[in-house]
Parts: sequence; structure tokens; C-alpha cells
Amino acid sequence: MKKLIYVGLASVFSTALFAQQKVEYVEYDLDNGMHVILHEDHSTPIVAVSVLYHVGSKNEKVGRTGFAHFFEHLLFEGSANIERGEYSELVEKNGGTLNANTSNDRTYYYELLPSNQLELGMWLESERLLHAKVDETGIETQRSVVKEEKRQRVDNQPYGSFLTETFKRMFVDHPYNWVPIGSMADLDAAQEEDYVNFYRTFYVPSNATLSIAGDLDIEQTKKWINKYFGSIPKGQAINLYRDWQGMDADAFEKKYGVAKDKLDGNNFMKPSDAAAKKLVAKYAAMPCTINRPPVYSGTYTAQTDTVYDNITLPGLFITYPFPTQTNKDFYALNMMNQVLSGGSSSRLNKAIVEKKQLAVQAFSFPFGLEAGGLGIIAAIASDGADLDELKAEFDTQIALMRDDLISEEEFQKVRNSIENDMLGQRSMAGIAEELANNHVYFGDANLINTELANYMAVTREDIQRVAKKYLDNDKRLILYYLPKEK
Amino acid sequence: MKKLLYIAAFLAPTLLSAQIDRSIRPKAAPAPEINIKDSEVFKLENGLTVVLSENHKVPRVSFQLVMGADPMLEGSKAGLSSLAGSLVMSGTESRTKDQLDAEKDYIGASLGADENSVYLSCLTKHMDKGLTLMADVLQNANFPQSEYERIVKQNESGLKSTKSSPAAMAGNARAKVTFPANHPYSEVMTEASLAAITREDVVAYYKQTFTPDGAYLVVVGDMTKEQAMKTAKKYFGSWKGGDAYENENLGMRKLSGNQVFFVKKPGAVQSTINIAFPMDITPGDEDQIALTVLNNIMGGGVFGNRLMQNLREDKAYTYGCRSAIDIDEYGSMFFAYGDFRNEVTDSAITEILYEIKRITEDYVTDEELDMTKKNMAGGFARSLESPQTVARFALNIKQYDLPEDYYQTYLQKLEKVTKEDILDMAQKYLQPKNLNIIVVGNEEVKDRLKQFDSDGKIDMLDAFGNEAKEVRPADITADQLLEKYVLAVTNSQNMKSAKKKVKKVKTYKRVVELTSPQIPIPLKMTDVWIAPNKEGQKMEGQGMVLQKSYFDGKAGGSSSMQAGKTEMTAEEIAAKQKTQGLIPEMNYGETGMEYAIIGIEEVDGKEMYVLKTNDGSNESFDYFDMESLMKMKSVSNSKQGEEVVTTEVTYGEYEEVNGILFPKETSMSIGPMTLSGKVSELIINKKVDLSGYN
Repeated sequence: MKKLIYVGLASVFSTALFAQQKVEYVEYDLDNGMHVILHEDHSTPIVAVSVLYHVGSKNEKVGRTGFAHFFEHLLFEGSANIERGEYSELVEKNGGTLNANTSNDRTYYYELLPSNQLELGMWLESERLLHAKVDETGIETQRSVVKEEKRQRVDNQPYGSFLTETFKRMFVDHPYNWVPIGSMADLDAAQEEDYVNFYRTFYVPSNATLSIAGDLDIEQTKKWINKYFGSIPKGQAINLYRDWQGMDADAFEKKYGVAKDKLDGNNFMKPSDAAAKKLVAKYAAMPCTINRPPVYSGTYTAQTDTVYDNITLPGLFITYPFPTQTNKDFYALNMMNQVLSGGSSSRLNKAIVEKKQLAVQAFSFPFGLEAGGLGIIAAIASDGADLDELKAEFDTQIALMRDDLISEEEFQKVRNSIENDMLGQRSMAGIAEELANNHVYFGDANLINTELANYMAVTREDIQRVAKKYLDNDKRLILYYLPKEK
Repeated sequence: MKKLLYIAAFLAPTLLSAQIDRSIRPKAAPAPEINIKDSEVFKLENGLTVVLSENHKVPRVSFQLVMGADPMLEGSKAGLSSLAGSLVMSGTESRTKDQLDAEKDYIGASLGADENSVYLSCLTKHMDKGLTLMADVLQNANFPQSEYERIVKQNESGLKSTKSSPAAMAGNARAKVTFPANHPYSEVMTEASLAAITREDVVAYYKQTFTPDGAYLVVVGDMTKEQAMKTAKKYFGSWKGGDAYENENLGMRKLSGNQVFFVKKPGAVQSTINIAFPMDITPGDEDQIALTVLNNIMGGGVFGNRLMQNLREDKAYTYGCRSAIDIDEYGSMFFAYGDFRNEVTDSAITEILYEIKRITEDYVTDEELDMTKKNMAGGFARSLESPQTVARFALNIKQYDLPEDYYQTYLQKLEKVTKEDILDMAQKYLQPKNLNIIVVGNEEVKDRLKQFDSDGKIDMLDAFGNEAKEVRPADITADQLLEKYVLAVTNSQNMKSAKKKVKKVKTYKRVVELTSPQIPIPLKMTDVWIAPNKEGQKMEGQGMVLQKSYFDGKAGGSSSMQAGKTEMTAEEIAAKQKTQGLIPEMNYGETGMEYAIIGIEEVDGKEMYVLKTNDGSNESFDYFDMESLMKMKSVSNSKQGEEVVTTEVTYGEYEEVNGILFPKETSMSIGPMTLSGKVSELIINKKVDLSGYN
């Protein structure tokens, strides 16, 4: 009886703690398939408006790599109602900031605005989705900008190419073979038709998640969402609309058999003309289908390779195949990673950087993706350090992970550290993004509130189990980075 | 939860899609009110000021202790503070580094320190443990030798990797050429300065800097004023220390004309460009807000700024080109920067210079001004999302003596800035004709940069912002060089007559009058020499002998006012014996001096042969003018205790005495000290002895 009371008390405390952090939100789908997530928080008069498109570099074709990211650049160029260069200006002159990023799996756009500009943010994002406009000058400019971005982030950066080199070797015959920055030759080869198709395929409401967080009123926000996003045509009707807008009257009528002036851009879904009505209904009923590459199922073999780079200190990057990010094992893998490299008392730092001084920096991170995963363990060698010794020390540490349970103390430390991270101050932009990611990848926006409990359920045995399962030397890539001969 | 969702999903489509005219842009709702929560400020008896910004949104709290000491001038030990900063967390009297790391990681806290602060952030429930560790680090750091050596080694690697990082190299060069030479901000750690730092220096730095005098404790998060007072007293109330270090007026660097500085990065595909100049302004100055608006129009926060629009959106030279102003208590500057592909390096500089000049000549447009002000107002609101911002505001008010309502009225002050103000600011602070252009990149782009330099000469810098030593292979051998030098200095046609001339000189005595900016009195140095290798030297000031030394061919020693008397070691004697004769270079073959020719280097616009010698104790580099073949300079590195001291001796104004050329001028720099001297007496073949020197 007594015992039970204690258990009860403990759960009261833990729920009290979690409750303090709980992120409340509402979510629903619009008729056109767009998913909406709203989080209300009035502590600062700002709001984050974001749209996540479920398209990344893995949706690209061989010969057109780098396209998803290039598109991200193009979609700041303007729309039917926004002139070139005006997009960012509108945000900035109204006190906001904006940006976007592209991963292997998705493209994400956001504005952070004073809360009285929420409607502006929604209008901007709906314009981007419905009828973005790009001209030749814009394409040429952004092509050069992307090339400069690659030079700055990859080519001119010591070790900057390590992800490119790693993905290339780990994923064969799969779109994870290349990374989002892609190939500049592919960008040069792109034709107008490629742009049009990419936009028509991936930039459709059913492939988008609208996530808004901050100082907002849910009811008012829903009304605006309905106005700006609810009015976006459903199914293939969005591409019908795009043709209606882009084609001249003859071409449109020739293609669709309905005169262009029978349709109205401001009320596209409800034309009064019967033929037009039928046409819209027909296209609205045609779904937008997106082919999603399957989870990587190729084989991994042990490989060792060397990259010569403009560096002074050699680097060692060891990569193991990991499962996809939604695999339950990922919680234990993240905790294993903390044991290896989280904080200055972590194993890699103690052994390799401090005790043996073989490296100036040692780090590791799990790379969880939608259709695969990687675990990267790496070090930048100390000046004059013996690379074989460095690799041997890595092997010792990896073997320890597999062969022994981590100590009770290490285990508690990792739990405390995870709890500390999860109870951090969350920004509105961070909440909007996390909710959208959780919905798209995990089908569960509420993961934002349950993730900590999932971590707390991991045991020491789980950590050893995943180490044994995934730190498989027969499947790993050993990549050396060595200074180029001058 | 699931059920609720279902209902929501069902409700949504019932909201009817209305007609919409998309060309109508939404209007802003009424501006939200911005409230900055007041921070609590109180002072402890030991001089520590506590600033609290309460925020209970998440169950965590952070403590930041910022010291009140000024940045120190480090001279030949540049990098001392940063080295010391990375060692503060390396253990205390009662905890080894391993224990410290384990204890802080155990509670999931982040605890860190740098050269003048200690920072803790943790869940409120682990606060006591965290503060115990923080207070320990703050007061009892003990800098174990092993950790000291490890961090030195790590810094050595770091210095090496600097050489492959364009951003780090550009930053070093910018610091060096934008701040005055004797300013802490122009001090950059190099291999030599790192070698000169000792563990004792680090300990002394820690004592001088980590003291409650003038320090601030900024507390942010889940804590009430009462708790904060109690906690601050408990953990930091008994903390004691001396007066915080203060430095003299540091001054500002005066630039004359535009100067191009180039740092080579072999294989670079982009040039990293920095265009910088100093500004005479300190934090809280009444010009600060308007100057910040100016910078934001030029290339600051806004994407639509002039540099970004011109160089990225119009020309596509770059992924990003921006500008920044650093307004700092000790030294302020403006800089514009970006990475540009090799082919457009010169065009990019032209455009940046055009933008800097343009803003000093014309009013900015009303749209630019309006957009920038609105953006800054929004940025101000967004910054309030972080409780750290609110605490920083409170700290700034105290530290820089700002009016209490400085941030509360920030938006009003911002609103009042006009385009006339911007032009005023541009004319007052921007220096379109006196700026530094720093380029880190591939040497192939260098020649196209001459046009930007007001004297047409590009200064080559190394990875640490120091003058780069350009060496090309020599066209003669070391022995040929030595022979040419001997013939030139003895004014002889062949070695036979040179030897004859030199043999006739049996003794000399030389007096040099020296002055130094670091020493308030004139100094007198006297040298005597007796063939083949006896010598004495003394340094006097105001009639007192400050230092003297001698060598009688077999033994020797030195004495000074501070260090007392020391005898030469066997190693030093063996080294000394490799220097024999009036012109020791004539005897290198016999004495066993190691020597090799390094190449030809340009020094102060003159081409010189560089000869490296090693006497078994010290390594020296001698520089011989290619034209006159005279020895112009000698640089040696010697170990004095734990320190490596670089001594540079230069020679000039050679004059013939008894058929042999002797320099009339000589100056020395030893570590940070410089001495310049003129020979006032040179007596050959008079009787001298060493009695006054031992």
C-alpha cells in the first residue's frame, strides 16, 4: 500500500513538470488537403508563419540534382502580385525576417513577424504556393547565387565536402546519393520545362503543411487561413488555375476546351458558367500524386577512402548505417550518441581529445532521415597525430559501446542531459518548425509533448542493443581527409 | 486528444471559401504594445552587482558572471587571455577537470568560462549543484600543468588550422590593421607569442581578471528577487579579489589613404574580402541608433540592404555581402565583408567602395529609411522573446551608464531618425578614402587589386596579420654569400687581402647611445672585443650599470641589477666559441657553426639574402642586402627560462674605419621592447681589458 502511494506521488511530480512545458495546439486539414497547425502564445508580440513542403533533394532525378534547393531560392523571386525583389522587402519593411532551408526530405519557408502582421505573412506564403513567378533574370541570378553558396559552404570550407563525400559512398542507386546542394552542372542543364514540372508536382496544397505559432487569436487566424489558403484550388485544379493565368486565351481554350474568360481568378473554384464549372470540378477531382522514394534498401559494405582537401589538419570520418528517424531505436541511438560525444565528460572527448590528445575535436551525430539514416563519428586530428592510432582509439571506444553496458552514472547523466535539452526555452519559430516536422515525418504533431517520455523509457540495455545492432564494422565507411599537396 | 482533432477536422470545411482579390495586400493590425519587464538590480558588499530578469516560463535558470576588468595589452604574449580563458575550466583546488566535467554533465548543465566570464545554465532543480561548481571555478581554478600543456598543444593545432580558414585569416588581418599596434584588439596569437606564454602568466591573468571589483552577475529565469538575493549572497558573497585591471587610454588608429592587404590562400576558389576602418564612438553614444540605421541600410540586418541588393541580387557575385559596425567600449569599427568568386574579386571591391562612398554623398531614400526603421523596430520586438535580451538591456544600462529608460524609449528614438541624420552620420563616421581592404585568396587575383591601393603597393600579410615573409630561392650558395659579404665589408678584391686587413684589427671599443619609447632615460651601451674571441658588454643608464656580461674565450657570465650574477653554462660556452674573430662569418667553416642559405626575401622594399645559422644553442637569421651585400639585420630566437624571446638587431649607415666597414646605426628589439641607437665612439687597437665587465 505504502509503495503505491510513492509511485503515485512520483507520477504527480513528473506530470506537473511536463505540464509546465506542454505545447498546446490545434490542427486540421483544409479541403484542398493542406494541413494546418496553430499554436497560441502571447508572451512576446511576434508570430512565426511557416510552410513546409514535403519535397527535398531525394525527390530529384539523376541529372537534375540540387533542384529542390534551387527552387527554394527561386520562390523568393515574386508572384503574380509581388514584383521581383519585393518579397523580402515586404517582410523586412514590416519589421520581420524571413528565410528558408532545404534538406534531403523537405523544403521549409518561414517569416517571423510582429504579431500585427500575421495576415501579411499568410498572404505572402499563399502567393508563393499558388502562383509564384520567376523570370529569366531571376533564374540566372539565383543560379549564380547558389553556385556562390556552394563555393562558400562546401568548396572553400575546410572539410566542407564531408557530407557530400559520405552520402555518395553510403547510398548507392538511391537519391540520398547526393546532398541538397547538388551538382552545378545539373543546374546549368535545367530547362524551363523542368521548373514548370517541379512546381506543378510538388508545390501543391496537399503536399504542404502550414504551421503558425505566436501571439495570435485562433478564430481570427482560421478565418484568414480560409481566405488565403482555403481559396487555393484543390487537386489538379491548381495547375488548371496556373495555366489559366499563364497561357493566352487561344492556347488555354485549345488545351481545355473552355474559354479563358469563363473563369475568374478571384473566385476560381466557383465559376458561374456550366462548362467551366464542370472543368474545375473535373480537375479538382484529379489527385496530385507524388512518387516518394522508398527507404534505402541497398547493401552496405566496409569501405575505406581518402579525400584530399585544402586543410592543414587531417580528419577522420567514420560512418555507420542507421535506421530511419521514425524507427523507435532512434531514441536509444540519440542517447548512445550523448554517451559518445555529449559534453566535455563524454567518452570521445575524454579519451581522444584530452587523454591521448590525438584530436583537437571529436564529435558524432546521428543523421536521421525519412528514407534512411547514418551515424557519423569524426575527429579533426591534432597536429602531428598518428592517424592509425586515432582510428585504433575510435575502434576501442566503439567496441566498448557494443561490449559493455554503460554505467548507471553515465546513464543518469544522459537522461539528465536529455531532460535539460527538452526543457529548454523554445522560440516561436522553433515550435512552428517542430510541430510541422513531427506532423510530416511522424504523423504526430503531439510528439513535441511526448518525446521526453519516449527518451525516459530507454534503458541501458536498449543502448547496448542498438550499439551492437548498428555499429557494424562490416558496413561502415572510413573516410580520411588529408591535406592537398601544395 | 484524438477525438478533439477529429471534430476540428470536421468543422474546418464548413467555413466557406470566400471570394478573394489577391492583389490587395493585407494591412497591419494595430501595433502590439511592447513591454519590457523591469529587471531587478542590487549590489553585494564585495562590489558584485546582480541583475535579475525574472521569467518562469520554463523551469530553468541561468547565471552569467561578467568581470569588470579591461582587456589587457599582451605584447609578445598575444593570446594570453584567450589561452587563460580556455583553461579556467581545467580544474580547481578540490576538483580535477574530469570530476568537474562529470559533475556538470551529470546534472545536464552547461557550465563554461572564457577570458572574462563564467556562465551556468541548468534546470532550476539542479541549481544548487550547478552554483557550487560555478563558484568553485570562479574562485579556485588551479591550472594544472598537464592541462596547461594540453591546451597549449591544442592552440598550436588551432594556429595551424587558422592557416586554412579564410574567415579566421581575414579576421586576424582586420584586427591587426584596423586597431593601433599597442591596442589589445590588434593583438593576435602566433606560434611565437604562444611559445612565450608561461603557466605563471595564466595564473597571474586569472588573479587580475577574476575579481568581484566591478563585476556583474546576470541572473535570468525561474527565480524571484528574494531567491536571487539569497542565492547570490550564498555563492558569491564571500568571493574576494583585488582591484580589477584597468588600462590607459588606448587610442584609435589613423588610416591614411586606402590600403590593400593580401593574405595568400593557395587553391582558394573564392576571395574573402573585408573592408574596414575604425570609428570614434562608444556604446550608448547619442549617435549610436542613427549610425546603426545607416549600417542596416548599407549592409546590416535587412536582406534588402544596398550591399546585398547590389552584389548578390543584381550582380550575383556572392551568396552574401554584408556590413557590420562593432561599437565597443575599447575600440569601434565598421566593416563590410563577403566571399566572392576569384574572377569578380576586383569588381566586388569596386562595388563595395561605391556603396560606402554613395551613402556619404546623397540622402538615403525615404523608402530605405522607412523600411530599415520598421525592420529594426520589429527586430527589437523579436529580440524580446529571449529573456537573455531583457537581462542584457539591464546590464548595458549599468555598464555603459545609459539613462534608465534607454530601452523603454528605444522605439521613439528610432522613429525620430531622419535621412538628414543618416547623411550626417555617414559624413562623420565613414571613411571612403581612408580604409583597409583585406583580401584572403588565391594569388592569381592579387595583381588586379593594385588599383585600389593609394600608394599602389599591396602589403602581404601572413595568416596572423603580420607582414608576410616572401621568400624566393637564392641564386648563390651560402659559401658564395659569405665570401661576397666578407669582400664587401672589408672593401677587398680577394679573400687574401680581406684576411690581411682583418688581422690588423686586434681590439675595438664601441659606445652606442640608445633611446627607447618604453624607457624614460637615455641608455649607453659599451662593447669591447679582443682578438680572437674575448668580449665584454655593459649597459648603463644615468651613470648606473644596469647589466653587464663578458666572455674570456673559455668562460663567461653576466650580471644585472634584477637577476644578480649568472655564469655561462657549458652549452652557452660551446655556442659562443663558434663565433670567432672580428668578422665571425670568415671562420664559420672552422668553428663548426651550422649555416644555410634560406633564400631571398623582400624586407622594407629591399631584396635581401637570408642566412640561417645555428650555434647549437640559438637559431638566427641574418639578412644581407643583395645590392650592397652589407648585413642589415639579424633575428634570433632564444630561450630565457620558459620564454622564447625574439631579438632583432638592425644595422645601418656603414662607415669605413681602418679599411673595414662598421655600422654607425644599430637598433634592437627584444620582445616588446625597442631600442634605437647611434654609435658615438669606435676605437680600434687601443688597449682594452675585460675588468669592467665581469
